[in-house]
Parts: sequence; structure tokens; C-alpha cells
Amino acid sequence: MKPAPFDYVAANSVADALDQLARLGADAKILAGGQSLVRLMNSRHSTPGNLIDINGVTDLDRIALEDTDIVIGATTRQRTSETDALVTEHIPLFAAAGHHVAHLSVRERGTVVGSIAFADPSAELPVALLALEGTVLAASHSGERLIAAADFFIGPWQNALADEELAIEVRIPIQPRRRSGSAFLEVSRRHGELPICAVAAITTLDEAGSFAEVRIALGAVGDRPVRARSAEQKAVGLTPSAETYAALADSTARDLEPISNLHGSAPFRRHLAEVLTKRALTAAVADAQESSHA
Amino acid sequence: MTTTEDQTASSRASGESTSHKWIGKNLPRQEDPRFLAGRAKYIGDVTAPGMLQAAVLRSPHGHARIRSIDTSKAKALPGVVAVLTGEEAAAFVNPMPAFCAEPVEQYAIARGKVRFAGEAVAAVAATSRYIAEDACALIEVKYDLLPPVVDPLAAMQPGAPLVHESLDSNVVFHRSLDFGDVDGAFAGAAHVTRGQVRWNRMSAQPMETCGALASWDPFTKKMTLWSNSNFYNFLPWAFAGMLGVPTHQLRLIPCDVGGSFGSKHFLTKVMSIAGCLSKATGLPVKFMEDRTDNLSANDNVGCDRRYNAALALDSDGRFLGLDLKIIDDYGAYFQFAHGQHGNAMAQPTGPYQIDALRYDVSCVLTNKTQQGFFRGAGADPGNLILERLVDQAAAELKIDPAELRRRNFIRPEQFPYKIPTGNVYDSGSYMAVMDRALELADIDSWRAEQKRALAEGRYIGIGLASCQERSGYNASEWWFLYDNPPLGATSTPETIKMDVDAMGGVRVQIGSPLWGNSPETVVKQVVAEELGVEPTDVSVEYADSSSGAISAGPGGSRLTIMLAGATKGASKRIKEKMIRIAAHALEASPDDVEMIDATFRVKGSPGTELTMGEVGMRAHLFKNDLPDGEDSGLLENYTYDHPYATSPNADRTDMGVFYPMVSHGCHIPIVEVDPETGVVKVIKYYAVNDCGTLVNPKLVEGQLMGGIVQGIGAALMEEYSYGEDGTLASSTFREYLIPSMAEVPEIVIDHLQTPSPFTEYGIKGAGEGGRLIAPTALASAISDALAPLGVWINEIPMTPQRVVEAVSRAAAQSSAAQAPRSVSEQP
Amino acid sequence: MPNKVRITLMVNGIERDTLVEPRTLLIDYLRDDLGLTGTHAGCEQGVCGACTVLVDDRATRSCLLFAVQLVGRSVRTVESLAANDGSLHPIQRAFNAKHGLQCGFCTPGMLMAATDLISRIPLPTEDDVRERMSGNLCRCTGYQNIIASVIEAGRLVSEASASAGALVKEEVPA
Repeated sequence: MKPAPFDYVAANSVADALDQLARLGADAKILAGGQSLVRLMNSRHSTPGNLIDINGVTDLDRIALEDTDIVIGATTRQRTSETDALVTEHIPLFAAAGHHVAHLSVRERGTVVGSIAFADPSAELPVALLALEGTVLAASHSGERLIAAADFFIGPWQNALADEELAIEVRIPIQPRRRSGSAFLEVSRRHGELPICAVAAITTLDEAGSFAEVRIALGAVGDRPVRARSAEQKAVGLTPSAETYAALADSTARDLEPISNLHGSAPFRRHLAEVLTKRALTAAVADAQESSHA
Repeated sequence: MTTTEDQTASSRASGESTSHKWIGKNLPRQEDPRFLAGRAKYIGDVTAPGMLQAAVLRSPHGHARIRSIDTSKAKALPGVVAVLTGEEAAAFVNPMPAFCAEPVEQYAIARGKVRFAGEAVAAVAATSRYIAEDACALIEVKYDLLPPVVDPLAAMQPGAPLVHESLDSNVVFHRSLDFGDVDGAFAGAAHVTRGQVRWNRMSAQPMETCGALASWDPFTKKMTLWSNSNFYNFLPWAFAGMLGVPTHQLRLIPCDVGGSFGSKHFLTKVMSIAGCLSKATGLPVKFMEDRTDNLSANDNVGCDRRYNAALALDSDGRFLGLDLKIIDDYGAYFQFAHGQHGNAMAQPTGPYQIDALRYDVSCVLTNKTQQGFFRGAGADPGNLILERLVDQAAAELKIDPAELRRRNFIRPEQFPYKIPTGNVYDSGSYMAVMDRALELADIDSWRAEQKRALAEGRYIGIGLASCQERSGYNASEWWFLYDNPPLGATSTPETIKMDVDAMGGVRVQIGSPLWGNSPETVVKQVVAEELGVEPTDVSVEYADSSSGAISAGPGGSRLTIMLAGATKGASKRIKEKMIRIAAHALEASPDDVEMIDATFRVKGSPGTELTMGEVGMRAHLFKNDLPDGEDSGLLENYTYDHPYATSPNADRTDMGVFYPMVSHGCHIPIVEVDPETGVVKVIKYYAVNDCGTLVNPKLVEGQLMGGIVQGIGAALMEEYSYGEDGTLASSTFREYLIPSMAEVPEIVIDHLQTPSPFTEYGIKGAGEGGRLIAPTALASAISDALAPLGVWINEIPMTPQRVVEAVSRAAAQSSAAQAPRSVSEQP
Repeated sequence: MPNKVRITLMVNGIERDTLVEPRTLLIDYLRDDLGLTGTHAGCEQGVCGACTVLVDDRATRSCLLFAVQLVGRSVRTVESLAANDGSLHPIQRAFNAKHGLQCGFCTPGMLMAATDLISRIPLPTEDDVRERMSGNLCRCTGYQNIIASVIEAGRLVSEASASAGALVKEEVPA
């Protein structure tokens, strides 16, 4: 279990990395934390001809509040993000999702942006990004563009970045404070493994206590992280209750086309999606009600 | 119900252990420092000058004919020294050794067709593992796909595609044996409990994979081979035959072993691959499996069984007979024949008085990697079916499960106790063990907690399993199911070489490897006990095959029993010789000389003393001062044979005594199950074991806890996953899941000590008890948790999906019955 | 075939200057190029943690890192723990005292993970150990004794540094 040969280049700036990407294009992969990429290279499921190491691009290691977005740079480690005061304060769902990612020792090395760009259909951070309606800032010689999470994940382990593009950072709008709550729940076969179903829920209540907005994002139940749009629309104006959660969970699960593998069949994942959606809505509403009392 | 007899027996045991100075003491583990310092020498750490590294190309298909293999591009790659297909390797090595009587031929590198996903089709030797893998990627194999044989039930049907064309059926072996009057027992039964169990395929997955370094010398025609296999001092001729080298020209050298749990008993593939490449290149070649090599193609995966069984009971709930019908999926080869069933037949009736047994086994070949040995070695599923039947009978008869066990336990005064298969149990205090476990777990408070939780909609389960751990096997278990075995061996010896040097130090060479157990500590404790020296005065080394030290090594929970026997025997002989020499020097009769704390003196005459160093020097260099007829030196080769083994009878109505040191345990795990997600959390685990005299309680506890956690893996997550197309989905540690720290609860352990009358010091084995009992105890706990939902657990591992499916099946049944069944009506 | 790259880094306090292929994993560099075989490969997939070493004092899986990434960095392996006179580090002593190892194959990874843990949390609790070290798999011990070993290690390390501090104080004339 050894990687195939490749050439290695350490980028020392974003411009340098973009130069290398422009030169090497499709035959290059970006090396950040490497916790997923190197694993795939060891098993030769990934055999890039070149690696562009961006770990030395220190100005990409940042977390900042810019306008109403939390910005997380491309070399920021997952552990740094999940414990960062800005993240836990303004995007608690993202921090909560972060705690479920692999093992702590892996999160010390793995990067937030790397996990998102890797686009594993079962991974937690893409689900959280989708629920939070974050964006990915992509850069190349031709300029920069923002890609919405909903457009970023285009298939299993496939993202919308062009060959010469580098994901510089993710930008995540801060969660509303008033009458809003969130929850992230998952079931995995073993602590630290990818989930067989993950659900992120954000619920915002109106003054009467009904749903003003509901967002439900799920992982490990499709070829990419998915939003339960139909259930989200149905939710608006409903009064939160066990019956409502069950109905929304049922609607969510019905719309899925789950994946199937040895850790869980498609019907089982659909079942888990229903159970976890119900629980996540319950927890998110409790969180929202707590925040409105606060 | 009284347990007086049991308690008397066990307190006698603990009384005896206090009479020892070193046996029974928690001597810190002597092996540790080199492992802690990173200076252990595993097979992966061994190198030889000019050594090449090997990699193997494996079939992605479960069943296919090899049409062609083009290795030309691989051979042309710089750094590649040799590429061998199965046909080419056959010029250097012979088929793998096999203990089956049926014509099931096996090569380390497939010839003609591949029979499981992961089977080797070519091997490369190169200057680095990286280049060897590059070369594998350049080999072009053309396959003609054959219909994969995955489901053993389908494989048994007439007309099913054959895994081996040399056989006329995939049912490679079938035998049904009655011990006692089985039909009579069932005919006369007041109640018959019928149940099924499914035990899925798992494997040991030690943290270190298997490997071998072969160094063929084309000039002397000698081969030196380092590996992490056992049996180098037991069956070296079998390795030699495979490698095409005379046994006396083959030197097998052991290494520190990074865990085995049975899976490194007898490693043939890695040795054959390293061996053929070394012969082809004339250079040392190391083949070290990576995790995928090990998962997909190791020699020893565990059982894969379906049981259909019945237990006959009389009107008092006493067990009359047991009927076991077993289908066991052996995978693609039959290398160790049905040894796992010989093993299971050591204790199929468990700790209970059951006079009649039917054992009907079908061994089926499929396109999967082969079955071999994994901690429990075939007796592990046997415990599951028996204890599930007992729990089921208790539910059906509305008898408390502990009470039903009490009524049927073999009683202390009945030992030695002969079970229907002919095996004999040495001793036991089963009731006392269970009572202690119930007390340790404070069972009543858990029952109250369970009730409280249920009121909140939480499902807590309390398991109970009382199981045997047979220990100290004899070789007959491998073959007695055959009337005409190919190798009807009857020996399982353990040899040590021991000497006292001229300065009085003690050197011991043992014939067994270090597998993660503690042979050095055991030997030091026994020598210190017998000679009165300090453990630091003893050094222990590992003999290679050139020593001729016939030793079966670790396996079947035998090593502490056997090493202690051999060490005590050698110590005794050397001590006698030292006393003769000392007596001669002290001008006294040997009968009047005693050895106390490593010094010799005439009884009743304090003052005149000789140290071991003085006697040692005299023995080594002062021949003229030795008694007449006494040879120089203080060297002893001592072989301790199996303490109590007999042969099977001709008609196989009695298999003889083959596994008579029988430990016992009662385990009570507490679980919480989420019936909606199927997630099972083990929240506490209580275990009381009785493995006779404890040589080193802390080390025994370590074995037990490790086995229990492997049992948690077996009960919840470990499983080989073959697709219908015969491909293997579980080929890395991300798919084959073993427990982490996060899945393991606090484990609370206590011991009783009922000594074995058959062994030195009363020792019984303790290496497998954890894994032999934990899966069964956990199945009971999960079943107990979900009993209010009408669920009965009869399969492991209970993955989240299986739990949810079981819950929904039960709900469907209960709505079909139009009325929920009460707990007491379970199952 | 890509060209080899010259790398210079500190390993166990010794500067190492080596030519490596870019694809050489840190674990293979340590084991094959430097002969430091105390670090073990268990899965080469980043799952088991057996290959854990310290990179700039932080526990890191050496199977998921290329040696070329380590230029100018400092790596510590299990071989750096014990003193040259054979006296074991307090963390190693704790594993011996609490029977925290059997086959020893996962042990170097456990020791390095524990070293990192104790440097952050000097007196770790059971929960700390489970959170920080659940990514290190062991197949022998059942973990309970490893957890006890790490807790004991924290105590021994704290004692050792306290007594070292006391020693320094005593040596200073009052």
C-alpha cells in the first residue's frame, strides 16, 4: 500500500500555488492536511502526477469575521476551527459538525477547506456548509469566484472547481441569534468513522413560535450532501410539535435516493434519515426556544 | 439453592496459591522494556544484506479462470528483479501443506483459476516495496469470469458451480455423529427448544500483519526464513515440504510477533511467496502483507456458521439432549480441514450436564478467503448457540435464566467429568462463578435501573452467559472427525532448554514465540519458584527451528500450562543434579542436602553452604570433584507432553480426551440500545472467570480484557463483507471495523481459582476466555434490552442495520398477531 | 521517474540530510532510510494510529505525511523517549506498571500520542484519554490498561517535573 510516483512542489504563496496549478492543471492535486488524499494515494485510488503543497502558504491559515460571514482559510485545521471563538459563537452548527469529524488527532492535521473540497458524500463539514448556505471562494489566474455550497458539490468526491482553480477559503454566513437554533446529529458504525447518516437542521421561529424558516441538510444518503427542500418549504408556518417533526422527517426521507454500502443499505439510510431528521428538528427547536428566552 | 461445595473448592484453590513465593504474584511483565523502547524486532524490522521487497498482485474477482498474464512491462521496470506467476512459482515451491483428506490443492499464487477475491495471481521482487507495487500495476491479467459461489446454502445445491473441480460437490465434508441416546432424549423430553444462530465471518486482525523474509543460499541449498508464524518448532517439515527444502536444511527463525489471536498459527502464503522469490533471485526477499493483503487473503479467518439446533428438557427443566446441525462456510480452501469442529467438540455441551449430543456438520467451500484459527477457534460460535438455547428455554418455560443454569450445571463433586464427545473436564465451580458474577454486577440494582429507563423509553439490557474455555489442546482435535486421517498425530509437546551457567545464572531457551503473551515472565516466575533465584537471575531466549526443540507454541490457550510444566520439569532435574554435586562437595548424602533460596546446605547443619555459583563452577570446570558418573555441566532439554490426552475410539462414538483443562466464566454485560438507530452502547461489563491457579493475575486480566473487547467487536461490528459478485468490500480498516477506546466500557473483573488436577500448579488456560464468552454475553444483553419490543437476537455482529431490521420484523410479527407479546413469552 | 529530493530535518534531535523520492511516506523514511523501526505501520490508511510520531511536538500519523513535507521540521519517535542508559521515560514506566501493552505493536503510537496529550493536559482524566487517543487502535489490551497507563503517566511526569524543580531549588543556596 504505497503511493504511485509523483512530483512535489511546495507553494509559498497563493500566487505561487495558482502558477503551479495553471502549469500542471488536471495532473495536479492540492495537498493540505492530506488526511483523505494521502490515504487514497496509498491505496492508489488516486494517482496524481503532481502534488502542490499549500501548507506553507501561511496567510491561508485564518479565521475571521468579515461583514456577516465567518471566513475560514484553506490551511486552517479542523481542530482550530471547531474550537475557535468566532466559529463556536457565530456558526455553532459548523463547530458541532466539526466535533464529529474523524478523530481529534486527524482533525489536528486535516483542514476545513480540504474536507469540503474532497466532497465525500458522507462527510460532515459539507453537510454543515450546505445547511449554512456557505460559499467557497475559488481563485485562478483568471480571477476569483464564489461558488455556493449547493453548486459546489456535484457528485461523489466531485466538486465544481476547475482544474486550475484553488479553493482559497470558505465563507459561512453567521447564524441568526434570535429565535433560531441548530443541531447536528449523525450515526456512525464506530467513533470517528464517517457517518452512515448525518443531519444538520437550522430552525428559525417567528414571534408566534411557528417556523419562519427551516433548513435540513443530510449527508451519507446521496451521491452528495443534499437539502430537503420540499420538507423545508412545507415547514414554513407550521407549529413545531412532535407530529410536525415526524411529518417533516417523513417528507425528508421520502425524497432521498440513498447510497448503499456495507455499512448501511439504502432503505436503512432512509430510515436513519427520518429518525435523525426528527431528532435534529426537535433539538434545533429546543435550541431556538432557548435562544429566544435568552 | 446452595453453593457450599463450589465455594469450598474454590477457596481451597486460593489457599494453595498463597503457598507459592512467585506463582500467583503480579511480577511486572519482563518482556516490556524492549517494546516500550521501540527496540522489539518484528518481522517488518528484520533485514538482510541485498534484501529485496515483494508485493503481490491480487485478483479482484471471486471466481475466474486466468486466461493469460503478461508480466513483460512489470519485468522491464527498473528495480524489478523477478516477477512470478503461479505457473512460474511452481518451479520453485510446492503446493501448500494441507491437513485435509480431500483433494483440495492450494498454491500461494493461484494456478489456472482464482477462487477468492484477493487471491494472489503474481508476485514481484524489487528493490523497494514502492517499486514492487509499481510493477504490480503493470501486470496485465485476462480473466474469464466464472459464476461466483458466495452463499453457502446455494453452494450446497446440486449443480452449483464448483469451487474445486476435483470435488463433486462444494460440501467438502459432512458428518453426523450421535453421542449417547439422542433420539431417546428428544423422544422423552417434556419440552424441546428449537433455535437458530448465525455467526458471520470475522478475522483476528492483529495490529501487525503477516510477513516472511526468505534467504535461499543456492550454493549450500539451505534456506533461512524469518517470520511471525508459530509452528516453526512443531511442523517445520510442513514448511520445508512447501518450500522444496529438506527439513534439516531449513532454518526457521521467530520474531517478536505483533499479535496473532490464532491467525499466525501456521503461515504458509507469506512464506511460500517470499520463498519462491528468493529461490528465483538468489537473494533474500521479504514479503510483508499490508492491511489489505491481510484482510483479503490471510490464512486464518474465523468461523462462518449457521446453526439449527434443539435442546431437550425434562419437566424439571433439566437438559436431556442437544442437537446441533451446522453449516460452516470454509471459504475457498480446506487447509486445516474441520479442525474448528474438533475444537468445538471439546465443549459443545458447555458447563451443563447433557448426556446426549448430535453433532451434524457440513463444511462448505465458497469463493472467500479460507477459514483457519481465530481466538476461540470454533468453540466461540458453539458457546453462542448453546447459551441462546438456554436463554430461549428459560423464556419458554418461564424459569429465571440463572436458575435454569443452576439446575443444570455440572457440580464440583462430579469432576473429572466426561462429556458425551469423550472429552473430560478437569474441575470447576460453575455455580460459585455465576453467583459471584451476579453479586459483582449487583444485578438487582441493574434490574431496577432497567425498569426506570424503560419507563423513559430507554432500552437497557443485562446479559448473562456461563461458558467454558477449553484449554491445552491435543493434536487429535484436528483429525478425529476423519475415520482415515491423513495425519493422525497425537502429540502437542513443549520443549525447553535450560542451563545453570558457571556463575549460577539461569538461561532458558523456549521453543515458542512471543505473540503478545508473556512467556518470558512465566518462565522467570516458575524458575524463581523452583530454584529460589530472583527473576532477574534468569534470561529467556527464543529457540529457532535448528534447536530441535519440539514445541507446539501458543494456541488453544495452552502455553502457560505447557511452559510452566516444561520449566518446572527442567528446573527439577537441574536442581537434583546440583544437589548431588553439592552433597558430594559437602560430604553428605543428597537426601540430606536441601536447596533454599538458591543455596545448598546440609539439613540441620547451618553454616556449611554452597551457592548456586559455586555449584555451577564445580559442575562446569571441576570434573574431578563431581560425583562418579556425573557429566560436566548443568544443561537440560526437557519436553513436557500433553498432561492428559487419549485417542478416539474406532467408531468415533468417543473422541477421547483432547482438551481437558477447562476454564469457565460468567459474564454480565450491560448495554443500552437505541431501537430507532440500532446503535448499541456497552455501558458496563462484569466478568468472573475461573482459569485455575493464576500464575500472574494482572497478565491474566490483560488477556481477559483484550478478549472481551474482541468480543465486543464480534458482537457489534466485525464482519467480512462479500458482494453477490464475490468481491470483497471490507478490505481496509475503514470497512472491517475493530473496536476503539470509544466503544469500550469499564470492565470489572474477578477471579475464582479452582485448580486443575492435571497440570503443574493447577494452571488452566486463559488466552481465549474473553472472546469465547463476550459475543454470547452481549447477544444476550441486546436481546434482553429489546425484549419489550419482541426482539430475539440470534445473529452477530448486531450492526445498527440488523438491530433496526430485527425491531421492525418483531413489530410486523406482533401487528400480524394482533397483540403485542409480553416479555415472558419471548421469544 | 520523478527526481529524488534532498531534505534536511531534525529527527530525535539529530539533523538528518537525505535524498528521498517525493512519494516516500514519513513512516518509510523513518524505518527504511533512518533504521528507526520503532514506528510501526498498521493500516497505512490513517485509521489505526500505530504509526503516530510527533511532528513539532504534535502527534501525527506518519503514514499520511510525505517525508518531503518535513523539511526544516522536527520529528520525534518512540526511540527518543528512554535514556541511553536504559532508564525508561515516566510514560513508558507507567505502561509497564499498569500492563498497558501486550504484543507491543501499537505501543509506540500510543506512547507518542500520550506524550502529546500529557504536554497539553498534564493530568489527563479518563475522558481526556478517550477523546484524545480513540484514534489509536489496539487489538490486545482492551484499552482499559492503556487508559490507566496514560493517567498514571500524567502523574509520574508531573511528579518527575516537580521533583526536578525541587532539585533545582535545593541546589540554589538559600
